[in-house]
Amino acid sequence: MSIDGRNMDRGTEEGVRVLLARATAGEMRATHRLYAAIGDLFIDDAVRPDDRTRLHLRAVLAQLTGGVEAALRSHAVRSLMARDEVALADRLTLSTTPVFARLNASGLLRDPPLVRELLGRVRQDLVADALPTVAPDDPDIPSLLPRLLHHANPLVGASAAALLAAESRQRGGASAGAPQSSDLPAELHRRLVWWAAAALRMAVADTGDGTLGALDRALAEAAAHGIAMHFEDDRREAVAMRLAVALDPGEDARRRLLVEALSDRRLSLVIALLGQGLGIEYADMREIVLDPGGERLWLALRALDLDRATIARIGLALAEADPQRDIESFADALDDIMATDRDVARRTLAPLRLDREYRAALSAVERGIERSWPSGGMPG
Amino acid sequence: MSLDDPVPPPPVRATLDSAGRLVTADPPLLALNAAAGGMIGGTLAVPALARLARLALRLGVPVARTVTVAADGGDDLALSARANPMAGSQRGGVELLLIGWRIGDPWQSRVSRVPRNDDFLRRAAHWVWETDSALQLTRLSARALPPSDFDGTACLGYPLTRFFALAEDDVRAFPILSRLALHQPFNRQPATVRETGQAVLLSAQPRTDAHGAFCGFVGAAFCNDASDRGEAGPASSKRDLDVFTGRIAERLDRTLRVPLAQIIATAETMEAQAYGPLRQDYADYAADIANAGRHLVGLVDDLVDLQTIELPGFTILSRPIDLAEIARRAAGLLRMRAVSARVQIAAPATETVLPALGDARRALQVLVNLIANAVRYSPLDGRVWVRAERAGTQAAIIVGDQGKGIALPDQARIFGKFERVDPREAGGSGLGLYIARALARAMGGDITLDSAPGLGARFVFTLPLDAAAMT
Repeated sequence: MSIDGRNMDRGTEEGVRVLLARATAGEMRATHRLYAAIGDLFIDDAVRPDDRTRLHLRAVLAQLTGGVEAALRSHAVRSLMARDEVALADRLTLSTTPVFARLNASGLLRDPPLVRELLGRVRQDLVADALPTVAPDDPDIPSLLPRLLHHANPLVGASAAALLAAESRQRGGASAGAPQSSDLPAELHRRLVWWAAAALRMAVADTGDGTLGALDRALAEAAAHGIAMHFEDDRREAVAMRLAVALDPGEDARRRLLVEALSDRRLSLVIALLGQGLGIEYADMREIVLDPGGERLWLALRALDLDRATIARIGLALAEADPQRDIESFADALDDIMATDRDVARRTLAPLRLDREYRAALSAVERGIERSWPSGGMPG
Repeated sequence: MSLDDPVPPPPVRATLDSAGRLVTADPPLLALNAAAGGMIGGTLAVPALARLARLALRLGVPVARTVTVAADGGDDLALSARANPMAGSQRGGVELLLIGWRIGDPWQSRVSRVPRNDDFLRRAAHWVWETDSALQLTRLSARALPPSDFDGTACLGYPLTRFFALAEDDVRAFPILSRLALHQPFNRQPATVRETGQAVLLSAQPRTDAHGAFCGFVGAAFCNDASDRGEAGPASSKRDLDVFTGRIAERLDRTLRVPLAQIIATAETMEAQAYGPLRQDYADYAADIANAGRHLVGLVDDLVDLQTIELPGFTILSRPIDLAEIARRAAGLLRMRAVSARVQIAAPATETVLPALGDARRALQVLVNLIANAVRYSPLDGRVWVRAERAGTQAAIIVGDQGKGIALPDQARIFGKFERVDPREAGGSGLGLYIARALARAMGGDITLDSAPGLGARFVFTLPLDAAAMT
């Protein structure tokens, strides 16, 4: 090959351009790194998720987006092939940037409702796994959920079977990259599916030019299909709540159910039984149960008029499972907890029974007021 | 408890009053308390136990934990301890019950071991399952199985035997049933998935609470492909066993490769200090971990190869290859290792062509093994020659080094299984040369050795010459 001076100059020019662009990007990266370090440095340790939680959270997020992505891809590729859009189907198959990476870079995954749901789920699994197992008094009697299968109320039996299946499914861990539904609440699932479809479209657009109308249609159809096929009622959280509602236990039965569910490490049922008793949604109740501080939980247990031994067992089991909890201060506070009037406890928790969106709006408006008076309150 | 576990010593008891003062105690605790400066009527002087008792007193419910206490003579006691508030008196005394009192060789509660065994079981399993103490299936998930409509969830909450049909063994007994009933671990028990007829091998570990009481089983099922082809049944269980043992290497491969890859990747990241600065000796430890991991991966590779080449009728499909080019590639792959060992490799010149019949990938594996050995045994600033030659109907690659050489009596030995050129040297599985020679022979060639102490070693790898390419 001949060496052409003009080409070489062009090559050098191009090289310089790339180098400068990279240098600028490097500077931005350094700034990013700095702000990330500052952000991380000053987070209070009490609220910063520990490394295990962070790791699991990321893994769950990657698995969820991976599952949704795989489902979208296979559906869209099939419909493109059916319409003879073989080239587009190939481009979709060959675009390898994972949706997770693109969504992560776009910042879309920093979605508070999504992260709240996943954080709750991950924390619940970590705590449930670490709960101390307690052997039953009679080892020949089946544990709680298998017994409930044969409950006189068929709705209880069906819900217990569904909860056993949902827990197996969620804890079994699907294989990576297999098409699967997200097991998220419908609204979050819907959002994630559309985001993933958009990310896939951009990934294909990066692979070359040409009109992408047919791809848009195929992806939109695949997304609509994925949303329509999502059954929110099969989620572990929904099933647990259904079981608690079907059981509708009296005070004494609730106490026994709580202790047994805890000994069986069925934390989802513990959360659902408390939520059902207090009229609080599962996600809110989960947040209360998993909050290492525990104050709202103690109030909730009092509001249900639970006895000292049951409250002590719940507090002890959670403290054994969650190193962030302080069993000594719980033991110190137990007398005060028991002295709290049941009605006072109920009144304190009453706002949690209001619609979540209403509460979110109240809190947003309140924060708005605070922001407009930065000196800390309205001028006098 | 497993039959292999030592029998736990009898429990040690004590009672304390509501103020945490020792009222009664069995002799071992009495002695330990006295050694710590305590006495009957005084506060319990063993801090971990005193804390436990105080917590149970304040909470009014039993508290069970594994506690470690420092005993006389510097030995630690690992105890399974339970503090029971005494019945009928919420603010009365507390009873302490200690299991596993044995100094020096503590019988530990199995609680800490279960998660680990559990992880090993799960890693390679096709099904993972759990039961409660009444042996009802409480968790079931399919792993590494092609997705199908059958997920077994309809069996959840019912006896384990509704999902798995337990097969008899050779003596027409059901060892698994007795082990289930006695809450003992079991391994590789033949069974079938009732719904699909899939033959499986079941393994399980009992799960216990902090006080050693049985809570259920954590188990796994592995698909038994040999039986899957209709060879199941008592008459063929000996054959099943052979197939099973033959598959150990494959199972090792699946079980070990993923976690090892994780260990190596993480250790390398730590060594590179990618997450931030690290004290140098810690970075060096990380390098050691990565090296040990790579060594283990090499061992897994060797075992998998070993299993393959020992299958009856193992052959390798031969195709025309350029053995000189493969030798150059092998030398290229080892260049970095040679540089760090300060050894030079002289590979065949680029224009050298040596047409032979064999499998390129396997020939490369053989040559990498021979050249790596030569580099390993070369002195500093030594040289390794890799020459391509024709000898009659054979194509030969000769790998020579300037190492200390191999004495005649050792020359046959080093081609044996689990043998090393220098047995005093650490590292290597001792399978490399055995596998290399088996591969060479399976391609119609051989590996021979020509060496004397002090004169280096010359390994000659031959393959049939590709006569068609020569004309």
